[in-house]
Amino acid sequence: MFEWFSSIQWEYLYDFELAIDSLPFLLEGLRITMIIAFFSMIFSLILGIFLGVARMSKLWFIRWPARIYISFMRGTPLLVFIFILYYGLPVIGIEFTSAVFAGIVGVSLNFAAYSAEVVRSSIMSVPRGQWEAAASLQMNYVQTMTKIIIPQATRIALPPTFSIFMDVVKGTSLASVITVQELLYSARLISGRTYDSMTMYITAALIYWVVCIVIGYFQNRLEKRYNRYLSDAQ
Amino acid sequence: MIEVTSLKKSFDNVEVLKSIDFTVNKGEVVCLIGPSGSGKTTLLRCLNLLETPDAGTIAIGNSRVSFNSILKKREIKEIRQYSGMVFQGFHLFPHKTVIENLVTAPITVKKDNKTTVKQKSEQLLEKVGMSEHKNKYPDALSGGQQQRAAIARALVMEPEVMLFDEPTSALDPQLVREVLKVIEALANEGQTMVIVTHEMNFAKRIADKILFMDEGYIVEQGEGNQVITKPQNHRTKEFLSLLEED
Repeated sequence: MFEWFSSIQWEYLYDFELAIDSLPFLLEGLRITMIIAFFSMIFSLILGIFLGVARMSKLWFIRWPARIYISFMRGTPLLVFIFILYYGLPVIGIEFTSAVFAGIVGVSLNFAAYSAEVVRSSIMSVPRGQWEAAASLQMNYVQTMTKIIIPQATRIALPPTFSIFMDVVKGTSLASVITVQELLYSARLISGRTYDSMTMYITAALIYWVVCIVIGYFQNRLEKRYNRYLSDAQ
Repeated sequence: MIEVTSLKKSFDNVEVLKSIDFTVNKGEVVCLIGPSGSGKTTLLRCLNLLETPDAGTIAIGNSRVSFNSILKKREIKEIRQYSGMVFQGFHLFPHKTVIENLVTAPITVKKDNKTTVKQKSEQLLEKVGMSEHKNKYPDALSGGQQQRAAIARALVMEPEVMLFDEPTSALDPQLVREVLKVIEALANEGQTMVIVTHEMNFAKRIADKILFMDEGYIVEQGEGNQVITKPQNHRTKEFLSLLEED
């Protein structure tokens, strides 16, 4: 125990000066991270809604492709998928000129599958009685969906959707392996130069954390708004 | 108003309705009674096609469907416009206030004028004693209040027939009366109604006709409250005597 304690390299534990000095460089990386994250959130959500609805279709030729897509994306690591996109696809003549764009495509396509599952499960968790009440009031499928089901499903979908958003932000770090100069890539660059891994990775971790705290803040606000019709809402 | 002939319905090989024939005249209040699992609720749900019967015909208002071929959407829509449904579990829309619960369907389905619908809805809420709660969300209401709002929501579509599926079964005993009073007031106005109920005294008071169902058949039916006061069939007698033991 004592031996381990004395082996700690205190001077390398956290170098505030280095952290502050490298902050502008890291924030430039964060900008790229946020660009990828922002577009990936939007694209994965939109694609996820289509996939989720397709997954519930009565028509097998719509349902099955959606099912297979979701199963594949959920069952394969994002990192592997990004490698396939960036290093594999050139084999069939598809080449990404921009690594950032490849990152957006990879993260979006992957997280769309998770979004689809959230869409599906939250629509299914609206009680059957709501469909029946709407039907008995002569509302058709589209009217029932837009006026009755989706508003309630949205409330249910909020927490898991925001979890996905946080995962998207963190998932963008995998784009560093295809040379995208995002936050993690920048941190690794400096740590390689200064040999101070601890300081750089802890700083990067803290920045990711702050971003997720901000996302969590929006989640809280939206949840409050959507819960207002429940009498036990805080 | 309603004419049902040889109606059949099965769920996964279980025959719930074996062959049902009955009629409801305009202005009549018909109560469906019988033990659990006798098919009362299924029969009621068939009347507005929440369940699709396997065979037979239903005529309601001016439309008539035979269940030999697959139903068209248009037929379902046509049948449904004649009836309003009140559920055991209320099924108000939780994300809408009471008044919004009422106005949504007329505005989206019938494209009615918003001000007119709102006025009509307020009158109906007045009638069921819910005016003071019109801006509350269902979650803030008692079961009795929710059910009265649900009755008003069905009425606002001006259905020819009101269908009630055990409207008081999910309520605390002290809340049953306020809902029954609303239904009784509707009966006195001449609203045609079909009511599935376990409230025998209520059925006795209100019914123009009572149907007793058991194991997928209408075993006995009679004018007024005869089925309850002077049951003929041994199964009706048995059912009623079991209730008295409570």
